[in-house]
Amino acid sequence: MNVKYLIPFVEAAYEVLKAEAHITMTRGELSLEKSPYVTDDVTVLISLVGDVQGTVFYGMNAKTCVAISSAIMGEQLKELNNLAQSGIAELGNVITGRASVKLSQTGFQSTISPPTLLLAKGATISTLDFARLVVPLTSDVGNIVIHLALRESATKGANAALLKVPSAPGV
Amino acid sequence: MTNVKFLNPFVDAAAEVLKAEVQLSIRRGNLSLQKSAMTADDVTVLLSLVGQVQGVVMYGMSTTTALDLVSRMMGQEFTEFDNLAQSGVAELGNVITGRATIKLSEAGYQSNISPPTLIQGHSIQVSTLDFSRIVVPLMTESGQIVVNLALRESPPDSQDRNFVPISVP
Repeated sequence: MNVKYLIPFVEAAYEVLKAEAHITMTRGELSLEKSPYVTDDVTVLISLVGDVQGTVFYGMNAKTCVAISSAIMGEQLKELNNLAQSGIAELGNVITGRASVKLSQTGFQSTISPPTLLLAKGATISTLDFARLVVPLTSDVGNIVIHLALRESATKGANAALLKVPSAPGV
Repeated sequence: MTNVKFLNPFVDAAAEVLKAEVQLSIRRGNLSLQKSAMTADDVTVLLSLVGQVQGVVMYGMSTTTALDLVSRMMGQEFTEFDNLAQSGVAELGNVITGRATIKLSEAGYQSNISPPTLIQGHSIQVSTLDFSRIVVPLMTESGQIVVNLALRESPPDSQDRNFVPISVP
């Protein structure tokens, strides 16, 4: 896991939460973890494929999730309903998308997958041989913990399956 | 909208990989299309696809099935779902999905897969949001593996949304 992937995500999270939800986040202490993650109430999980590959997840409790979704939607949500779930997944999507644009500016092209939402406290998520860089972000409405299990792809620059195969290769 | 044409590459890949790696033949159960969140079994291997087909693929099974599969794969008896067993079952998901994407590319849909993520937790809710899932149970001697496909054809303009083509020097 490389720390150089961290800054794009922290910047993206700060900018997106500020713009979309008017929430100011403060970065907490970094840590590197190898053991599986035991989930909080809500986890948004998104994969990156390309020059940088791996998985990013955003964990938070239900109260924080509802508060952030309410701020994005501009209406007070009472519970973790479909709208709140969709809002938080989209937030993860926008943050990760913005981070991947920032990563591409530093020379690492990657494509992000659609988000997956885990609703379960106490489940474990393992990224196997990918160690995770863990960054807590704190705010008035609660904490979001970003987990980055990323590494540079071995096939950097030769992302074969994304290249179009010419229909009639010239001799 | 999930497309059924993406199903067969996965079922075929699973049959071939399980035959080759763990000498198991599979029997396909009844298909269903689900829109609500998936309620997970003990072990879920999750991989994402990006490219002309995008979305999430999940393989769910009980711990007993996972242990039996890994025991067959590695040729030694596993009684505990330890790191090696987790790695084995994730790799199985990786190989099946990788093989399925080769089949998809032969059908004209290029895609790349993410590294696998392993989720453990019985009856947790996993939502793929606006992606509906094709669910197909595969019955084996080791137990049941449930394949969940939340895939769709990428809209033509969104595919390269944050992908900048490699420039030739």
